[in-house]
Amino acid sequence: MSALKGTAQQVMEIALKAGADDAVAEAIETDIKQVRFSNSQIDAVNAWTERNVILFVAVGNRVMSSDLRELDKLGPLTEQVVSLAKRAPPSKTYGGIASGKFKYAKPKFDKRILSLDDPSEPVLEAIAGAEAEGAVNVGGTLFVRHISTGIASSGGALAFDENASLDLSVRAFSQPEASGHTLSCTSCLSALKPRETGQRAGQLASRAKNPVQGEQGKFDLVIEPMCLTELINTTSNMMSAMLVEIGSSMYAKKIGKPVASKHVTFVDDPTIESMSRQNFDHEGVPTRRNVVIKDGILKTYLHSTSTAKRFKTKTTANAGFPIPTPFAMPNQPMAFHPVVVPGGWKVDEMISDVKKGLYINNAWYTRYQNYSTGEFSTIPRDAILRIENGEIVGAAKNVRVSDNMLNLWKSIDALSKNTEEIYWWDEAAPPSTVPTVRIRQMSITRSS
Amino acid sequence: MIDEDIAEATLKSAGSRADLLLAEVRIEERNLRDLSVKSSQVNNISTFQDAGMNVRIVLRSGVGFASSNVVSKAEGLRLVKHALKLAKTAARKNPVALSEEPAVKTTWEVRQKKPLVDVSTEEKLEYLNSLDSAVMKTKVKVQGRYYEVKDYELSGYFANSDGSRIRSFLPRIKIESFNLVSAKGQTAQSIRQWGASGGWERKDEWDLLDGLPQEMRMLKKQLEHGKMVKPGTYDLICGSEVAGIAAHESCGHPMEADRILGREMSQAGKSFVSPDMVGKQIGSRYATVMDDPTVPGTYGYYPYDEEGVKARPRYLYKEGRINEFLQNRETAARMGVQSNAASRSEFYLREPIVRMANTFVAPGDFEEDEIIGDVKNGVLMHSFTEWNIDDKRYNQKYVSREAYFIKDGELAGPAKKCTLEITTPGFWSAIDAVSKKVAFDSAECGKGDPMQSMAVCTGGPVLRLRSVVLK
Repeated sequence: MSALKGTAQQVMEIALKAGADDAVAEAIETDIKQVRFSNSQIDAVNAWTERNVILFVAVGNRVMSSDLRELDKLGPLTEQVVSLAKRAPPSKTYGGIASGKFKYAKPKFDKRILSLDDPSEPVLEAIAGAEAEGAVNVGGTLFVRHISTGIASSGGALAFDENASLDLSVRAFSQPEASGHTLSCTSCLSALKPRETGQRAGQLASRAKNPVQGEQGKFDLVIEPMCLTELINTTSNMMSAMLVEIGSSMYAKKIGKPVASKHVTFVDDPTIESMSRQNFDHEGVPTRRNVVIKDGILKTYLHSTSTAKRFKTKTTANAGFPIPTPFAMPNQPMAFHPVVVPGGWKVDEMISDVKKGLYINNAWYTRYQNYSTGEFSTIPRDAILRIENGEIVGAAKNVRVSDNMLNLWKSIDALSKNTEEIYWWDEAAPPSTVPTVRIRQMSITRSS
Repeated sequence: MIDEDIAEATLKSAGSRADLLLAEVRIEERNLRDLSVKSSQVNNISTFQDAGMNVRIVLRSGVGFASSNVVSKAEGLRLVKHALKLAKTAARKNPVALSEEPAVKTTWEVRQKKPLVDVSTEEKLEYLNSLDSAVMKTKVKVQGRYYEVKDYELSGYFANSDGSRIRSFLPRIKIESFNLVSAKGQTAQSIRQWGASGGWERKDEWDLLDGLPQEMRMLKKQLEHGKMVKPGTYDLICGSEVAGIAAHESCGHPMEADRILGREMSQAGKSFVSPDMVGKQIGSRYATVMDDPTVPGTYGYYPYDEEGVKARPRYLYKEGRINEFLQNRETAARMGVQSNAASRSEFYLREPIVRMANTFVAPGDFEEDEIIGDVKNGVLMHSFTEWNIDDKRYNQKYVSREAYFIKDGELAGPAKKCTLEITTPGFWSAIDAVSKKVAFDSAECGKGDPMQSMAVCTGGPVLRLRSVVLK
């Protein structure tokens, strides 16, 4: 597997020889298998294989990037990219790439995941688990992911990383409008809990039976890790220095100021064992634990070398891809593994202190009126349970959380002891490790 | 140039097993370019070539799909073996069936007056910078300024075991903008996209050098002079952008047959529509919504879908009734109908699934001033910013980007944050007038797992909704 490191180094050296001043080459091998299931049976089994090299070059401050996908033509393609860079218009804001003597953690991953020959077995277990708890219709996916990366840069980066992971998503229905959604996301084969994951989805679906029309007004919310990660998707994006630069972030001009309640500490930590553990960012800088929000106070944005230079600070090792990707702008620094530091509460205790509220399993479709101010809404979609006087008294449907995202984070007053690793369908993303949280007095609306 | 022999050899290797319903091979080549400018400075220039292939094997017992970014006979053989194994793994309880569709042998292409490949980086940069300059010249305080142009050519070759052979060439261009306007201590955002099938010439039709500055001036006026809408019941005029998003979200999506049958239940969700609801009343007689992949030059254009079925216009809601679902060959067979060519995939690495193309409210016979002229107390929601809808596609929300009060048939000043939160039947039943002219907007539609971003258009004429609650 050091072959990938060799490929990256070779491409980087060709780029320098062709006239590049800076070059970063990232050689990636991706093997993914997916089992899709719905209506309690498997629909399709898909597999995809990608081999590519993502190349960034700069000639002076003329920059160019490319995704090289014809591996038998890496030499001429690399030379062509450098040639295009020489003719490219200058980028006055280009701040260079990181340089130094980098030390990397040794790649660790669970090789047993690669030997999971028939991923349909855990899927059938999950379906059975949900059905045993009252589900009548079960759907979801199981992904088996194996990603290897070699990186080399003219700034001294040279490293290899490899990770394998499993993510099982189970959505169970007990009635057409009563569902529960659970996940088992792990980088360790023995930690995959298909039956338990299915059972819990089935239990939530059963508790969500016979939902009544939700009410409008102010409610306390107790939201599960899946729902919180749905909100972290946009929240962590807005921590990116590039989003701050273009005015698309509620965190602009808020360094050192309160952006969450004092109970909230928000970290980006790609160094812990997780689906998104990675040893280096897309510039080749060793990743690290970055405390973004400490006790409610915003401490930093997420930076690459270039954005850090513009903000007169240092990179946080969060450089993103130099090419466009589905959920980020090119060169956008990004969170790799958000972690919300847990609190000391049991979920039952959090509920028992709520007079009138909602317990929410999952949400989707978070959209903003204005990213710079944080006005948003999101739609709870699984197991919306009504809380009255500290007890769950039934289920609700057809409600929307319509509030302000800064206000939401400032209104968190309790975090659970237990956390869960979450990744679901690019909605609850990037892979995150978070607790259940309680949020006071959120605005709930519904269709008139 | 795609080597058809590789596709043929791959298809041949799938053999003629007794349980084989269908084998498909797709080979694609893409040339992509991307340029972005942030606050007058180059943010990124990317260019890349890509080629890959996929094999889909449909057995009675299941569907297997394998894809790779290597194109060769050996890789084709490997993908066939892999897809066959995966199809067997599926072990469906209910056997798979596919609708019978005629084999097609054809070649199609979208022509370009000014080929995208011939447009230099300098020319594109000059264009994006001219947009930025035009915005700056408005003297409006625009804090955030980000512009991006993406374009690509997609060549494809499709072959299936039914005898279809389709060669295609599709160039597409897309421009995106993000702007944040400040005035009177407040801000308003504008996130826009323009897209088309065709060459560089297509950007001229969007007239962004005039349109973007107008948008900035409009947002400034909204901030400076806009008044909040007092919650209550109003007649609401929806501009084409709002009509289009409603057509997409609360008609197009719930009418996708795979969603109706539950295949997307753990991702994009299910649908409030069930298979037995064809003919059921969902709106007023003015509510006709179409999805038409064959509109030339549109961002969602295609003449044949990813299963080789010839595309045609589909009437999803017709005069207020549920009329026809979007179907691929598998969903069609389960519902006892023919495919209407709704099978699409983002690119070769992803499985084809049921998707929209260009979804729009069909035109009516009212003039726009006639529609507004008959409103005593109302609001015109010209365009939207925040929006969302639940996963059964029943409860939706649209918040205005540009809105105006209407008093006695006349526009009466800007309205801020006009919010419509309404059910799907509530929206479509309230329509009592539809204008003659349809306008399209391009968009990226997200669906599938992994998420596939699909080029689509939304569109419509101006709609009048009577007596709806605004917040």
